[in-house]
Parts: sequence; C-alpha cells; structure tokens
Amino acid sequence: MNRQRVYIQATTQISIQSPLNENWMQNPIQYERPFIRSIEPNFRDFISPIEARRIGRLQKRALTTSLTVIHQSKVEHPDAIITGTGLGCIENTELFLKDMCSQGEYLLKPTPFIQSTHNTISSLIAIYTQTHNYNVTYSHRNISFECALYDAMLQFRLQKINSALVGSHDELTPSWYELLKKVGYSGNPSAEASVSFMLTTERNNSWCELGGIKILHQPSIEILKLSLGKLLTDNGLNLSDIDAVITGINGNQATDLPTIQIYKQLFGQIPLLHYKHLFGDSYSASGLGLYSAACCLKYQFVPSTLYYMETEDQIDNPQNIMFFGQSDYKDYSLILLKSSCGK
Amino acid sequence: MNEAILELKRQIIEVLNLEDISPEDIDENAPLFGGGLGLDSIDALELIVLMEKNYGIKLQDPAEGKAVFKSVAVMANYIEKNRTK
Amino acid sequence: MKEPIYITGAGIVSAIGLNKAEVLDSLRQHRTGIGPLQYLQSEHTELPVGEVKLSNEKMKSILKISESIPPTRTSLMGIMALNEALNEAGIVPSSTQCIGFVSGTTVGGMDMTEQHYLDFFEKNDFDHFITSHDCGACTQTIADYFGHFSYITSISTACSSAANAIILGAELIESGELDIVIVGGSESLTKYHLNGFNTLMILDHEQCRPFDATRSGLNLGEGAAYLILEKASSAKHRKAKAIGRLSGYGNACDAFHQTASSQNGEGAFRAMNKALQSAGLQTNDIQYINAHGTGTTNNDMSESIAIKRLFGDILPPISSTKSYTGHTTSASGSIEAVICLLAMIYQFLPTNLNWKYPMPEGIVPNMNDYSNTELKHVLCNSFGFGGNDSSLLLSKPVNG
Repeated sequence: MNRQRVYIQATTQISIQSPLNENWMQNPIQYERPFIRSIEPNFRDFISPIEARRIGRLQKRALTTSLTVIHQSKVEHPDAIITGTGLGCIENTELFLKDMCSQGEYLLKPTPFIQSTHNTISSLIAIYTQTHNYNVTYSHRNISFECALYDAMLQFRLQKINSALVGSHDELTPSWYELLKKVGYSGNPSAEASVSFMLTTERNNSWCELGGIKILHQPSIEILKLSLGKLLTDNGLNLSDIDAVITGINGNQATDLPTIQIYKQLFGQIPLLHYKHLFGDSYSASGLGLYSAACCLKYQFVPSTLYYMETEDQIDNPQNIMFFGQSDYKDYSLILLKSSCGK
Repeated sequence: MNEAILELKRQIIEVLNLEDISPEDIDENAPLFGGGLGLDSIDALELIVLMEKNYGIKLQDPAEGKAVFKSVAVMANYIEKNRTK
Repeated sequence: MKEPIYITGAGIVSAIGLNKAEVLDSLRQHRTGIGPLQYLQSEHTELPVGEVKLSNEKMKSILKISESIPPTRTSLMGIMALNEALNEAGIVPSSTQCIGFVSGTTVGGMDMTEQHYLDFFEKNDFDHFITSHDCGACTQTIADYFGHFSYITSISTACSSAANAIILGAELIESGELDIVIVGGSESLTKYHLNGFNTLMILDHEQCRPFDATRSGLNLGEGAAYLILEKASSAKHRKAKAIGRLSGYGNACDAFHQTASSQNGEGAFRAMNKALQSAGLQTNDIQYINAHGTGTTNNDMSESIAIKRLFGDILPPISSTKSYTGHTTSASGSIEAVICLLAMIYQFLPTNLNWKYPMPEGIVPNMNDYSNTELKHVLCNSFGFGGNDSSLLLSKPVNG
C-alpha cells in the first residue's frame, strides 16, 4: 500500500521556556522551584480584549500556539483539529467548583462553567478560524497528546485528511498542584504546556517527517519490541538508523530507573535524550518532548542540555529520533520522527 | 455622570471582564447588545446573576432580560424601581 | 469495497432500564425515567432528572466490587453497561487478543470530587478521589475491572463524546489497527454540570418537551452504554452474531459559539451529510432519525433546520428519546445508538414523549410506534457544546 507521508509543517510552544521560539536550544532558562507556570507572550497580538473576555488562560495559550502554526504553515482551515488535554481547563473548573462548594448552588456564574469543559479548546480554535471540519478532544492522562496524534495519523493513512492541527494543552493551578503533590503525582518540576503542531502531506519547508506512532496499553516487553520493529520496517529503517531516543524521565529515581531499563532493552546503546528538566512535567509534557525532537531535526543539531549522559558523543546532523513515552507503566508510546532535510 | 449609572457601569465591566474599557467608554443610552460592545447571550446570563446578586432582582429567563438590558440607562432605571437590596 | 463493521454486542444503563430488555420495555410502554431527584444530593430539588435507579452501594454489590475500592459513579455505570455488551459478544478481554477500548466522558470523577473538594485540602481521607478525578482515570477503572486491552483512550467532546468514541473505533478498525474495539461512554449526574446547565438557564422545570412549541429546556440524565465494534471477518471467524452494523459516521464542527448552535444548523447538517456519504446512502434510504433533540429552544430549532436542509420536504420519522432518558450528556451518543439498534432489531419506532404543539418551522416528531416500512438504516445525532457535532449511521447487519 502506498503510504501517505506526513510532515510536521510547523510547531511552536508556550511553556516555562521562552514562548513561541526556540531560544531554549541555545539559552535554556533554569529553575529551582518545584512548580512553575508558563511564560506567556502578549496575547493582545493574537486576541482582541473584547474576544478575550470569556477566554480562559489555557484557551488563550492554545489559541496563540494554534494561530502561530496556522500562520506559519499557511493552512487556514485544517482538515482536522485534534486536542489532547489531561486535566482540561482546570482553572475554570476549580473556580466553579469552589463557588459551588463554598457558597452553595445559587448565584453561580455561567462563564467558568462554559470555559471548563475539555473541548472548549478545540472548539474555540474552530470558531476562531471558522473551520467546520473534524474536531475532537482526547483526555486520557499523560498520553492525551499521543492519542490526539494517533487519531490524526489514522486519518492521514485512511486518506481522509491532508492537514491536521494537533495540540497538547494543559494548565496547572497552585491549588491543584498541591493536590497532585499530595498524591505523589507532581512533577520535578511541575509545569504547564501548550504545544501545537500543523501536520500536512507537504514535504517542502517542513520541520521533519512523522514516520509513525504506536500506543500500547500494558504491553509485554516482547510486544513493545515487535511494535518498535514494525514501526522501523514500515519506514525502511533499522534500529541502528535511530540517532537518539527522547524520553520523559524527570529526575525522579523511582520512576526513571524502570523507564531506563526498558529503554535499554529496546534501544541498547542509542543515545538517550531528556527534556522534562527544561520544560517540567505535566499531562501534556509529551507534546513538548516531540516538539524538542522536531527542533533537533529542523536545526540539525542536538543541544547539549538534552543529553541525559554528559559523556555522550555529539550527534551531528540527526536523521531519525524516536520519542519513547511511558505513563504509570501502563501506557507506552513510540513516535518516530525523521529528518526531511536533504534528499 | 449619575452615581448609580457609574456604579452600574463599573459592575458590568467587572462581571463581563471587559478589559480596556472604562465607564466613560460606555454610552448609557446606547444598546448594550448588538452594539459596539459586542456582547452576546452569555453576557446576558452574567447580567442576570449581577441583578440578583447585587440588587436582589430575579429575572426568570433571558427573554425577560432582553427588555431590561436595552441600555445601561434602562437597566439603571429598572434597578431603581425593582431593587430589594 | 471496504469490509463492514459489525456490532456484536451492546450494553446500556439508563434511567429507563439497567439493560437492553428493560430499556426496550420502557420505550414500548412509553414510560419515562425522568422524575424528581433521588440519588444526587443537590439543592435544586425543583429540577426533574433522569437518574439511574441504583445507588453506588447497590451497583458495587451487583458488580461484587470490594468496599475498599470506591469507584466513581461514572465508572460503576460504565462497568455495568460494558458487562452486558461483553457478555452478548462473548468476549473476555485478555492479553492474547488485541482489543481496544474507547470511552467518552466529560465530568469523569467529578461526582466524587464535588463531594470532597474542600476536604482534599484539609484531610487525607479522600485522596483516592483526587486520582480518580480526571476522564482518563474513569476509563482506566472500567478497563481494569475486565482485564487486558491493547489500547485504551478517553474522548471528551461534551455531549457528543460517546458518538466520537464510536467514530474512533470505526477508524481503528478501518485502518487495520484493531479488529475489535469497544466504544461508548459513561456519565453520571453531578451537581457540577446540573448547576452549570442551570446557570445557562436551559433546564426545564417540567418534563422536557423536545420539538414542542412550548419547550423550555432539557432535563439532565445519566447513564452508560457500550457497543462492541468488530470487523466482519473477525465476527465471522468467532461465529459471533451481528446485532447491527455501523455503516457510516460524520464529525463536523458548527464553529459558531461556545454554547449555542447556529441558526442554519451548519455543523449538524455537515455531520449528517458526512454520515450518509461515508455509508454511500441517500436521504431516502433512512427510515428513522434519533434526533439530538434536547428540548432547548436553540437546539431543536437549529436541528430542525439542519434536517430539513438535508432531507428536503420528505422527512423520515424523527424522535428524541431524551424525553425518556433525560439528556445523558457524554453518554448520549452510545445510549441513543443502542436505542436505534433496539428499534431495528424489534422493528418499532421510538416515540417522542410530551409533544403537543408544533413549533414554527420545526419538525413534527414521531408519535407512533409502528413503522410502515422496514427499519434498515437509521441516523443517530449527537451534538455538543462548542459545536462538536457528530452523526452515526446504523444499519441492519446484512445489506439489502
């Protein structure tokens, strides 16, 4: 079967690193705090004050990264708008919840409720861009973004779409951070993430190619190996063609060690990259992981800050980077990115 | 500007989160909806909450609100006549 | 020609019954499940609701879930419905088979969060409910009860969540990723969204009257329903009986307003049109439409216009079964899909309760159980806030 090839035509982020650019590759911002909120650009450049009056913080970030990749890719009405968000619009959810729990069930305001449903992000982008096409939101813990990307890839493969705006958006309030910390779900550091990708079938001017994605629930190591093998052969690659593996290890020994063990079983000696020490952890962190890998392929270098082992040899002109994600040792994801530079 | 009207404008700006708009920018005789402010049905619901919370006036449905929210002046007049707090 | 997608099992829990047989009986007896609040602890006792007539405790005991694990109501209802679906299909999820599970929900574990939110910060007794709050946690809890799935995910597109879960399931099968995908949704009633809808002033204080001139809002409901979608060759290989077929589907966005539907029903029109096109069918092939029909002034007008735009002057029988179940929000897509399957299996038309007065320019809903023609193909609409509109085309298992 003639496989539809898919490219990342544009991507950008709003996170705890400098927003809407790749400054982090040269000058990463270092933090010492356990909980950091995103650095926001001036939203007025994207959204007028009157429109902004009923748009929550997370929606503003999502709209801004989306409009940026729409502008950069010149795809005004993507064939699909797909969002992944683990917690959804938790700030407005808590606003409504706090009022309801403390003042009772009368005189509650509609706006926080409207802004609190997960799908307001995708639908707001559609309203803003007048896009009537396929529109869906995934909310499945740490793999929400991967699920959104997977849906897009299925539709490309079925030749139903030629473009897709895929986003990974999560916010975190100080109060919900306290709750996550209490149950051991907090990151190191905990942060927020808004990342948008414009996927198209157009190779020209793309950042890189999206070779494929696999998401597996409670797989055995054999199944993981089989899936990895399939992903590689589908792309005409051998394991030795992979220049680096990027994972979501976050400095927490208890969870990092098992991840590294599986990484070794799957990838052997292939250089390991990490990104959460720069971007923090959140339900949408994997979006930033894939974004980091896309940056390396676009600019054809791997910033030293991404190497997990300081002794690692410099990777020159990276061609293939594998994203390897795991969530609670239940859900595993493999995403292959290939350079679209050169031949 | 009449103190009651000024106060009402401030409240409207606050509950509708109208950034960048000052009371002077709102013409109390101009239509609140379908005019320059670009308000919609959700804003009307917010104003209904404002009426009950601040003035003890209970509007049963958005349709009733339509007549009351014609302009800030009409709203202020309605509040003056019907307020219970 | 693409391989058909069969439905080899279905399960449902709703205000009008805890399984398909009870739901069927209620539909045929014109018995609504909407009534005064009984289980949800809300101050709004004036609002009629469609509750599942079981306490959480009772559901736990039926499902033999130990007291030490307190699942949310959304998960409990989901497990009950999925149990029925798996039994009918004769499937036991295990690691030897690749089975997907896609569930739609929006409130997730909010039923517990809202009871303990303030306690979360003060005490440690309810920490479990912090981890069960999110949508994914609910899906995971349901999946864990049954065993092994090779892919699980949660879709959250407000009131069209379950319909979109069904659409993803179809795409997973069509693209060859999986042979069997369990799809649907679950949503318990919560104070959170009861109050949310109340602030929008779209809840009727009487029984809802979809498509009636005097309609003044919806009644919220709750429930869960799941379908087993299976590639025809897999069903044949397993000798599983098909109870229906998913022959088409459409997802579109109204792109109009965060809560309101557009005047011309653009999103709804596109979703239904895509469903017909993907099935390769014409409007005159459709014998029944299960409308979204919430009972709000806005939805029923917008949906009427969309249906008329697509179908012209000759409309098939149309009804909204939300007059029985209440609006089961994220679960409504799969709950109403199961109702459509029952209609085709037992060849009857679900009626629209409480309708008296035609609305100007509106559709006139079906009030008669008996169909003049055989029900072969039916459309099932689910529209969500933000204009997330989806339509499913369900058919009898065999073509022709």
